[in-house]
Amino acid sequence: MSTKPRVAVFDFADCEGCELQIANLEEEILDLLEIVDIVSFREVMKEHSDEYDIAIVEGSIMRPMDEKRLKYIRSKAKILVALGACATIGGVNKIRNQWMPEEVMKDVYGNAKVKGNELFNVNKTKAVNEVVPVDYYIHGCPIDRDEFKHVITALALGKKPEIPTYPVCVECKKNENVCLFERGMYCLGPITRAGCKAICPTNGSPCEGCRGLVKKAETECVWEVLERYNLSYEDIRRRCTMYNYGRAECGAQ
Amino acid sequence: MEKPVYIVSKKELDSFVNKLIADQTYEVVGVQAKGERFWFAPLENATDLRLDHDVTILPPKKYFLPQYESLMTFSLEKPFDVTPASNDKPRIIIGIHPYDIIALQQSDLVYLDDQKDDFYKKRRDNTLIIGSDIETVSDRSFAGSMNTHTVNDGFDLMLTHISTETYAVTIGSDKGKALFERYAKGTKATSQELKTIEKIRRELPTKYTQKLRLDKKKWSSVLVANYHHVIWEEKSSKCVECSSCTMVCPTCYCYDVREDVSLNLKDGKRIRTWDGCMLRDFTKVGSGEIFREEIKARYRHRFFRKGNYLPERYGFIACVGCGRCGIACLPDIADPCKLFNDLEKLPSEKETSCFFIKEKTEVGEKGIIHIPRSATIKKVAQCNELDTLFELELDDKKPLGHKPGQFVEVSVMGYGEAPFGISSPPSDKPVFEIMVRKIGNVTSKLVSLQPGDKVGIRGPLGNGFNMELFEGKNMLFVSGGTGMVPMRSLINYVTDPKHRKKYKDLIILYGAKRPKEIVFMNDVEVWKKVDNMQCELTVDRCEPNECWGGCIGLITTLFPKIRADKLDAKNTIAVVIGPPVMYKFVIKCLQTLGIPDQNIWVSLERRMKCGVGKCGHCQINGIYTCKEGPVFNYNQIKRLPEAFE
Ligand SMILES: Cc1cc2nc3c(=O)[nH]c(=O)nc-3n(C[C@H](O)[C@H](O)[C@H](O)COP(=O)(O)OP(=O)(O)OC[C@H]3O[C@@H](n4cnc5c(N)ncnc54)[C@H](O)[C@@H]3O)c2cc1C
Ligand code: SF4
Ligand code: SF4
Ligand code: SF4
Ligand code: SF4
Ligand code: SF4
Ligand code: FES
Repeated sequence: MSTKPRVAVFDFADCEGCELQIANLEEEILDLLEIVDIVSFREVMKEHSDEYDIAIVEGSIMRPMDEKRLKYIRSKAKILVALGACATIGGVNKIRNQWMPEEVMKDVYGNAKVKGNELFNVNKTKAVNEVVPVDYYIHGCPIDRDEFKHVITALALGKKPEIPTYPVCVECKKNENVCLFERGMYCLGPITRAGCKAICPTNGSPCEGCRGLVKKAETECVWEVLERYNLSYEDIRRRCTMYNYGRAECGAQ
Repeated sequence: MEKPVYIVSKKELDSFVNKLIADQTYEVVGVQAKGERFWFAPLENATDLRLDHDVTILPPKKYFLPQYESLMTFSLEKPFDVTPASNDKPRIIIGIHPYDIIALQQSDLVYLDDQKDDFYKKRRDNTLIIGSDIETVSDRSFAGSMNTHTVNDGFDLMLTHISTETYAVTIGSDKGKALFERYAKGTKATSQELKTIEKIRRELPTKYTQKLRLDKKKWSSVLVANYHHVIWEEKSSKCVECSSCTMVCPTCYCYDVREDVSLNLKDGKRIRTWDGCMLRDFTKVGSGEIFREEIKARYRHRFFRKGNYLPERYGFIACVGCGRCGIACLPDIADPCKLFNDLEKLPSEKETSCFFIKEKTEVGEKGIIHIPRSATIKKVAQCNELDTLFELELDDKKPLGHKPGQFVEVSVMGYGEAPFGISSPPSDKPVFEIMVRKIGNVTSKLVSLQPGDKVGIRGPLGNGFNMELFEGKNMLFVSGGTGMVPMRSLINYVTDPKHRKKYKDLIILYGAKRPKEIVFMNDVEVWKKVDNMQCELTVDRCEPNECWGGCIGLITTLFPKIRADKLDAKNTIAVVIGPPVMYKFVIKCLQTLGIPDQNIWVSLERRMKCGVGKCGHCQINGIYTCKEGPVFNYNQIKRLPEAFE
């Protein structure tokens, strides 16, 4: 490695849980600093520079001012990586898109005087790729640290990171779990992209689809499955709302 | 010879198991409850052992081919300090049902052939199998109809629950005998007790609710007769493409290999993980092409593999009727019992082998198959904008010993491994050449390397051309794009003054996409001067700024240029190497010229990982491109639908 890639981490609307996952690398963060130069990372440092090769963007895009900032970041970065469900698919924030922004504003702020204030000017929630092109995705809510390491080492080595395209069931089966459907529960595993090591079903909770839906999602095959287990389609649709509301409009790669 | 059988009490059996656990030489694994189901897991106490289990979620194959396995570790700084992964502790597995023992015996045939999988072999040698006769029949199993509900060998000990408080222990091997004598006390079974065991085994099939109506001997022919039936479409339209059916199957053994580099970018591991032919990217190659893209084709492939491809190759039906896939498949379309019962109503044929090559093929590399040899890059030359030629020297200074048409797997530690045709002719020196086109991770890294850098080599792999077979014949070489890479090895062999006299007239037809994609232009100039050689080039298209005085058009446009009056078609061997789309059209031209099918030779590329017929990626119907190919006689494979479709 001749020169270390310069990396900047940015956040938009989110809980910063994914950034925390990076900070949680603990000792390994020193390794990370060996292989890349972190020039901006609000969660862990004060310094900031506008010169970077890789921009890691966390959070979903809510306001016109966010779009402007994101476009600026994109113009500066050679590679843009979307970090976490908020950024890759709009995540939990997209639940809000069920209602018009005005309705939501009214519900939250009531009669407070926020009109005209740029900070309170919200659009519908967007995933990062709905505003600017994204090169690579680190999926999940929160992200999986090993996957983060995989992506960052690949980029540092000049490789294209390999992210699974198959559903969570593959990893769930490798973990030898009793399928939650067999236990009368709903699980979004069959239609959700793997890569999280099926952490939720492995710990007894159904997959909520935080890594986005795979290609074959919501087709007749899912119907068949629900029918076989006497579960309702309406219910599973509702469950999809958690992370994949209005998925048709975004669809991360 | 009858196997000795002893009788032990339940208490004695528990004490036997506890003694095994206490003796730290072995890791003791046994069947235990996992929620509503069962699994094989390390055993801490005999009371956790459940010999009344119906079926485990995963088969015991996970102890021989783990879900995630490190094949070797490497250092990126000293790329050839490769350390093969060390093996696990010796193990005893308790409670394996007969069908799973049979499945293990099947994988032995695959994994312990000429190209032995070392990791598998060590684990197999290191593991004692204590089987258990089936007590509770799984409601999805159809082992009773597959004759896999009992087994006569393949175990060290076999336990049979013969009455509430007693078990029979059948001794299956010397190792089993030693273990039993050391840790257990039993009485020799009386003839009455032997009869009880026999009765239990004989009556077991009646307990199965799932019954196969299509005899397993007929699977192959019914499949062949119905390759194009709508049933594949109908069933697969419900598939969620999760590959659970292959993950849980004791007879599935396909795998993927990837490199994991630590965050310090100093060291890494080569990891082998389970993969499955039901997954869409299973056959995806660098150029983005997916050879079995439609779910219908993948779904069908899985059943053909079980019922036709492997049976024709190894002589066993690659399904032992455990029923796991039926349980795991959410839309319930994976169960072979149901599928073959549906197929039973459809017609069958006598001919069974048409998706498989009967001839025994030669095996390229024998022995240890995973660990590459180190080689040094001697020369790097940019051939054109896209392609780079490398001269490599094996560090053990042994000649590669290849035939034209064979390939090597080249690894760049940290980036991965990829197959490349060998472009130099056979040689007694340790050097050889490959040409690399930059496509993805491995190839991009390769083209950035310099003389003196090291790479890993496995091979030569696959079948090359049998040059003696072609002696006394005219040769027609047709290559498209990078197909010229392996072709050059062949042409340079034939045009070598030492061999030239053995072959008659030579014709080379060579097409590239654009003038700048032509490879080996220097060689072409030399070939043009060879006696009795006709050499024709074409490009698909040419930008105004490119200088090209030759022919423009697809490779087929070169055929009319062959001096047909001179061509003795019956005595001509045609060799075709190029991109997948090219074959259909070129072969038609060759047939028009009157060249018989058995004189046509092709080299096919597919997605490859192992290069030795294990990982499953390169399969075209029943053949492995890496093992039976990449060089094939057209006559042998023209009936394989997946080859040229
Ligand atoms: C028998 C054979 C001979 C070949 N000869 C040559 C040659 O002489 N020169 C040349 O430039 N290329 C050759 N190829 C193609 C070359 O192997 C691929 O371009 C290469 O694997 C791409 O790897 P990558 O890591 O750069 O691409 P990626 O897209 O990063 O590939 C990822 C993985 O997919 C697999 N893969 C991708 N493409 C192919 C492919 N076409 N075939 C098999 N596996 C693939 C590899 O396992 C690789 O590790 C040959 C392929 C085969 C099967
Ligand atoms: S993806 Fe989840 S953890 Fe990550 S920032 Fe968004 S809400 Fe937080
Ligand atoms: S629990 Fe969920 S992820 Fe696991 S196999 Fe069942 S459906 Fe798939
Ligand atoms: S199991 Fe589902 S919800 Fe849980 S981490 Fe994985 S993708 Fe996300
Ligand atoms: S388990 Fe069923 S749904 Fe999943 S890939 Fe296999 S056939 Fe398709
Ligand atoms: S195909 Fe199904 S029934 Fe047959 S061995 Fe595999 S998992 Fe068992
Ligand atoms: S089976 Fe692995 S490459 Fe052919």
